[in-house]
Amino acid sequence: MKDDTILWQVRHFVYAHFADTTHPPSVEETASHFNISAEEAGELYKELHNRHSFFLEPETLTMRMANPFSGIPTDFKVHANGKTYFANCAWDMLGIPAALHCDAVIDAVCTESNESIQLEVKDGKVTNSELLVHFPLPFSRWYDDLVFT
Amino acid sequence: MLLFQSEEWIDKWCKRNNLERGEILTIDQVWELSKLWYHNRLSVDFHGRSTEQVAEVFRQAGLKSKFWYL
Repeated sequence: MKDDTILWQVRHFVYAHFADTTHPPSVEETASHFNISAEEAGELYKELHNRHSFFLEPETLTMRMANPFSGIPTDFKVHANGKTYFANCAWDMLGIPAALHCDAVIDAVCTESNESIQLEVKDGKVTNSELLVHFPLPFSRWYDDLVFT
Repeated sequence: MLLFQSEEWIDKWCKRNNLERGEILTIDQVWELSKLWYHNRLSVDFHGRSTEQVAEVFRQAGLKSKFWYL
């Protein structure tokens, strides 16, 4: 990739779009924003995927994750800044208010009991301190299968 | 990374899925890790982290077991 400047601008645009709208921009929206072709935008998406900046669905240009944001509905709903985001996992549900630097109310589910859980990030602290997060794989294996991780 | 109400539920989940226990963090620990990991994610200057930078985040979050080795 010759021009990393536009690469990082695209990464920033994707994240800003997620923060503003709660969903990822399509390749066409990104192409239009930067006044480039959809093919060029697609190549930039693939490069950013390869660099782990965000993650595309296999063999597509559809964005699955720009951590902490999820491109698809999940069990981790984060209400923040008057919007509702989906997070990828129990870590990312806290990653959203951390990334947005704001309070949040989070609707989640206990993975095994299936009980609904609501927690809150308020004034820099998180409620429900009895809750636990299980990391099934060591860091060295996180990128082997990111969806499972 | 999955959310649980107690270690008992984690053990049930691991047994049901035939998986070893991984690492368990409290929600407060995960919040501290989240702030370190994601605070600058929306910045135009964030281009990812080197291995050394990742290790430093884990160190600052107090995650020092082998599980977090790179």
